[in-house]
Amino acid sequence: MSEEQNQPAVRERDSRYYLGLDEWMKDPEFQSYVENEFQSSPIREGSEKEEGWARREFLKLMGASMAMASAGCIRRPVQKIVPYNKQPEEVTFGINNFYTSTWSDGQDFATLLVRTREGRPLKYEGNPQNPFHKSGLSARAQSHLLSLYDPERLKGPVKNIFNKDRTSRDTVTVKWDEADDAITAEIAKGQVGILTGQITGPSQKAVVLDFVNAFNASHFVWDGLNQDALLKANQKCYSTSDMPFLRFDKAKMIVSVDADFLGTWMSSTTFMSQFAEARKLNHSSMNQLVVFDSAYSLTGANADIRFRIKPSDQLWVLMGLAYELIVNQKKSKFSEDKDIINTLQPFAKAPERLKISQNVFAQMAKDLWAVKGESLIVTGGLALNHAQGEMVAIAACLLNEALENEGSTIDSNHLMLGMTASDTNLIKLIEQIENGQIKRLVIHNQNAVYASVLGARFEMALKKLDMIVYCGDRVDETGRMAHFVLPDLHAMESWSDLEPVDGVYAIHQPTIRPMYDLRSFGLTLMTWGYLTKKGPSRFKDIETYYDYLKTIIKDEVLQKYAKGKSFDTFWDELLQKGFVALPDFDKTGSKRKLNKLAFSEVKPLNAGLEGLQAAASLDLELVPYATIMFKEGSLSNVSWLHELPDPITKICWDNYAQISIALAEKLKVKEGQLLDLAVNGKQVTLPAHIQPGLHDQVVAVAVGYGRTAAGQVGNGIGQNIYHLGQLEQNQIQFSGQKVTIQVTKKDYPLACVQSHHAMEGRQIVAEVTLAEYLKNKSAGLHKHHIFSIWPAHKYNGHKWGMAIDLNSCTGCSACMVACQAENNIPVVGKKYILQGREMHWIRMDRYYVGNPSDAEIVFQPVMCQHCDNAPCETVCPVLATVHSDEGLNDMVYNRCVGTRYCSNNCPYKVRRFNWFSYTHKIDKPLHLALNPDVTVRMRGVMEKCTFCTHRIKSTKIELKTQGETYKDGDIKTACQETCPTGAIVFGDLNDPESEVSKMFFKDERSYALLEEFHAAPSVRYLTKIRNNGQPNRHNESHS
Amino acid sequence: MLKRNQLVLGNKSLKDVTDDVLLPLETPPSKGWLGMLAGALTIFAFYLVIIGTVIANGMGLLGVNHPIAWGTMIVTFVFWIGIGHAGTLISAILFLFRQKWRTSVARTAEAMTVFAVMTAGIFPLLHTGRPWLDYWLFPYPNQRGPLWVNFRSPLLWDVFAVSTYATVSMVFWYVGLVPDFATIRDRAKTKLKKLIYGSLSLGWRGTAKHWSHYEMVYLILAGLSTPLVLSVHTIVSFDFAVSNVPGWHTTIFPPYFVAGAIFSGFAMVVTLMTLVRMGFPQFKDYITLDHMEVMNKIIMTTGMMVGYAYGSEFFIAWYSGNMYERFAFVNRAFGPYAWSYWVMITCNVLIPQIFWFKKARRSIPLMFVVSIFVNIGMWFERFVITVTSLHRDFLPASWGMYAWSFFDGAILFGSFGMFLTFFLLYLKGVPAISIAEIKPVLGVGRQEGGHHG
Repeated sequence: MSEEQNQPAVRERDSRYYLGLDEWMKDPEFQSYVENEFQSSPIREGSEKEEGWARREFLKLMGASMAMASAGCIRRPVQKIVPYNKQPEEVTFGINNFYTSTWSDGQDFATLLVRTREGRPLKYEGNPQNPFHKSGLSARAQSHLLSLYDPERLKGPVKNIFNKDRTSRDTVTVKWDEADDAITAEIAKGQVGILTGQITGPSQKAVVLDFVNAFNASHFVWDGLNQDALLKANQKCYSTSDMPFLRFDKAKMIVSVDADFLGTWMSSTTFMSQFAEARKLNHSSMNQLVVFDSAYSLTGANADIRFRIKPSDQLWVLMGLAYELIVNQKKSKFSEDKDIINTLQPFAKAPERLKISQNVFAQMAKDLWAVKGESLIVTGGLALNHAQGEMVAIAACLLNEALENEGSTIDSNHLMLGMTASDTNLIKLIEQIENGQIKRLVIHNQNAVYASVLGARFEMALKKLDMIVYCGDRVDETGRMAHFVLPDLHAMESWSDLEPVDGVYAIHQPTIRPMYDLRSFGLTLMTWGYLTKKGPSRFKDIETYYDYLKTIIKDEVLQKYAKGKSFDTFWDELLQKGFVALPDFDKTGSKRKLNKLAFSEVKPLNAGLEGLQAAASLDLELVPYATIMFKEGSLSNVSWLHELPDPITKICWDNYAQISIALAEKLKVKEGQLLDLAVNGKQVTLPAHIQPGLHDQVVAVAVGYGRTAAGQVGNGIGQNIYHLGQLEQNQIQFSGQKVTIQVTKKDYPLACVQSHHAMEGRQIVAEVTLAEYLKNKSAGLHKHHIFSIWPAHKYNGHKWGMAIDLNSCTGCSACMVACQAENNIPVVGKKYILQGREMHWIRMDRYYVGNPSDAEIVFQPVMCQHCDNAPCETVCPVLATVHSDEGLNDMVYNRCVGTRYCSNNCPYKVRRFNWFSYTHKIDKPLHLALNPDVTVRMRGVMEKCTFCTHRIKSTKIELKTQGETYKDGDIKTACQETCPTGAIVFGDLNDPESEVSKMFFKDERSYALLEEFHAAPSVRYLTKIRNNGQPNRHNESHS
Repeated sequence: MLKRNQLVLGNKSLKDVTDDVLLPLETPPSKGWLGMLAGALTIFAFYLVIIGTVIANGMGLLGVNHPIAWGTMIVTFVFWIGIGHAGTLISAILFLFRQKWRTSVARTAEAMTVFAVMTAGIFPLLHTGRPWLDYWLFPYPNQRGPLWVNFRSPLLWDVFAVSTYATVSMVFWYVGLVPDFATIRDRAKTKLKKLIYGSLSLGWRGTAKHWSHYEMVYLILAGLSTPLVLSVHTIVSFDFAVSNVPGWHTTIFPPYFVAGAIFSGFAMVVTLMTLVRMGFPQFKDYITLDHMEVMNKIIMTTGMMVGYAYGSEFFIAWYSGNMYERFAFVNRAFGPYAWSYWVMITCNVLIPQIFWFKKARRSIPLMFVVSIFVNIGMWFERFVITVTSLHRDFLPASWGMYAWSFFDGAILFGSFGMFLTFFLLYLKGVPAISIAEIKPVLGVGRQEGGHHG
């Protein structure tokens, strides 16, 4: 793609473009119109300031020209069909254009290929070449696109009309120049703070730094899910708080203590991809994952061995393991180290306290030592938000050091540059506001009033400030407290960059012009510099953020990533490829120096009580956890995420208090019964969810719910629990706090998409242990003798098929959102989920296996199986569902009368019916997110997975016009493309060399769902393997 | 030789018969009848509003969902179709077997059949997602290819079966009415009445030739109807049996459905006849306790047949060794919908057992209560089959529960409004007992009337 097409941002402040209009502008009538326009603003204030008319006049004119410029950019609803008579280069109607870009939510990141059609972005796809997550993406990344078309995004800057207590909720729209005027007048006075999320791009970093320099501001980096404990631990152990990059792909054994690295912890998409890579059975050995889980996390669900713990156990787990390794087994470089042995001594009885057998610990330590240098101990997440969190993190460092992981699986040569957010920073900011050091604050998109334990205190502190500017996309909980809310561009409207890990640089291109009167945060900061003539020259002289970005690349990035290359070549390559990686990126190493003294700080809480007594206490502990959908609570107005069931509980549209089966029995609580939880004298009422595999002394509740200013979709869904935390000794206490439960008599309906959780002895998810698999590759599969009196269908050309490796699938549910985005699948809402009307074409079945109190989880994505002997096809009276000659089970929406017989006759129950007219209920401009390749379905019509038949068709057409033949991998379904673990493989079964054929026909693990039913599905699953060291798994009988 | 009881009581003369039967048609409507009609019409109007709302908004208003894509509408469809069976059985099969006692109840039973099939026929059309495209279910020449229907689909067979049945039973009923219409015409006092019944009687003059033709046609239609009694419900059962849902996919369904249909049909006849006897006391001489007793015997017999079928299903589910099938049946009896199963067993198998006692068979209030229970039980039988089989099938992850809504109840309730409206109008507009057929059997069982043999 060439430069010209990719600079919509150029016009943001390009007054030259309108030079020709100047004369017209000076027309007195027009000027008086302009003035009247401004006077109509109810908040016009102090216009008779002395500093002069000239400047104001200029600003007005500039404002008017900007307004006109942006008016030209506004997408108005199209009323008439008008031919594209000046067709831009590269844009052809009906043809997708892909642009490289990036996505980040502060913790997780991705490099993208954004699919656009006729100038609007339609879907995020992972940039397949990137070294992190291939084409994989998370459900959140997929959903981020929908926030672009959120009808409730701000359409221009607004000003809050405050009453005395700043509690009013009224806003008025203002002009950019008015806002800039008022703001610059304030911030020029100094004592400025700026609060941002984690900044991973050099240009973003530079623009904030320039602002900090220009206004002598203090910069605070904070994020709802920050890794405060880990940063502190790093600081203590290695004298630098930088986070190293983790290499799960190089780890043969992973022990995670509450670090949900497959779900919500740090760069989980990348970690998931790495983890699955090391788990593929074509390697010489398969990795092993041991998880100690306070809440039932996605990582816990994928564990080979999982232990349920409570937050106060975390330290005992890690130190107990270290004790076993270093003291009992006398392994590692610390085995002779007196200090460390002394530190470990209090934890000698860890197995007893944890009620985990000593042998298990011994075996684990032995296994870890056997793969020293290729193991990984991780801990982190919200569950570490307690007094001992930092010690837990130090304990993990100790184990990693003992196991020699530093420099191999822990790659401190490549730091995760942006990971600097911490609660400590927020505490510092609040203190500085409270003691008057900061009087003016700029906040970029961090909803700290909502998403923090300190929210209430922060809100109080904000009221002391003279000027608060909030740059977000809506007047959210924090925005309400701001004097001005200056809407930032959506990521898809703005230029930016991303350097997630030292050594990989990615460019972030916009894919649509700003839809409203918005301005990027970077440009906002630059404008203030320009207006006040402060800051370095690049900050105040460059007119657009696009140029600023290019300057930064020229000055800083080029140096590091493309020595010797000319800027233009680099730029073109960058735009085209999306990212650039240093050649030695894959080489891990360490550049940190260990400070052993840190370890001696680790002490059990209540050391005097021997800890054992503490274990005997029956206090319930609070476990706040983040969901894969909302994490700390952002993207709350995205309906796709609300409709996405939590992969573990399968509940959507709510949060709830999870308690164990034993606790529920003790309290005589039924599913959905409302519980009054009291923590620190603060209360919250939540419905109970009885969760198998949860520790009996734990109440797990998701954060990120109970938004009050998210928008119509997100407001009032669930309860906010951040206020249950507290600050004690400058440390946030959130996790592990004592909870008391008052059972109420009220019931509350929870929208659970799966009502039954056991496989009932049926061969649905086949699962064996590694030992069994090594003995017999098709272990665990009951092969049925199947015969048919009819000849099978003949497929002469292609025969599309899909293979799903259940050993790779982590249940992350990204496929569900990808499918939703790709196929225009409607969202139905909680009321209809409760009635069993969800519309997902691919669903993530979750079954519990084994003893309910300690249940393990298996996942299975199920979509239309495209059976050769499709039971749906024979029963449709009007031939609305028919078999294609390529093995697809086609659904003809136009012909469908809606008898729903096909759904009844489908043994997999994958068909979905349009009970109401869902499409008509899509608010504008959300309809712009609809994929024009896939028809929207009307009411009364059956629908289901099509194997992305539109992708098959368009690829075939493209190949035909280019005279090429189909190669394996040319066509990818949306679910396959987005799967971060590569669990889904699609292709031509008639091609014996295709990957899918090999998995389908040759892999001994392959089996069809309900094989004996002989619908002959075109989807086959591969057995899940648990590497849990057991000789075999109690196999439920299957006849 | 057993002595026959009199078929018609009260030593009626031929004129008495005509007078008695035509009394409702020749007197102004009673307050009771008007009140009932007003009630029925209100329910009917309510029903139409509900139907309109469902068509306007979508099937989502009912409790059907995923995985239970068929619910109240299909249950109620099978229920009404089943009820229709008694009419044809009485009028056609008993006619062929020369069962003379049928004559006094045949007309009303046939009318019930016609109205029940009409009521039922609405449901398959209404329960589709896009009812305005229902005509696509019929094979007709078209410009779409031509695009034909799928002849492999049991639902299509159903369309043919039900429409054939509706047509034949309507024609059969009408043909039987022709001589009676002529009688009304001859007795008509107003021009309008004469005109209406005159045209309805198709110029019947009662000549020997007419009678000869009439009886031939009636015989042929009876012959045509007879296989339909078996085929309609067999094919309705194919909707279930030919599919592969555990609990549906069973070979016992055709006979079991037919037995069930006759069972429910007779129950409905008993319900209606007790009411007719109450409303028109002069009919007590024609529809005697003997008639009611015979029907109660049939109810008990067919009740035991369906009871046997219920047992047999369980045995076969166990005997088949098919785990899905076994689970489906265990789930029926002990799963979340066990209550509906036991309602069905109680109403259909246990309660009719009271008819072993002659006193019970001949007690009008008791048989009325029993017949209501049987009606309830048979509705639940279809509910058990449809909903409990679908709600837990192969993959436990997709199991679910039916999402009852107001509209489910309203549709079921409203359908009775439609049926009763038609039935009440019938009672006032059409002779409820066949005058022409009852006259030849006047002598049956009479002491002095040996000539009828």
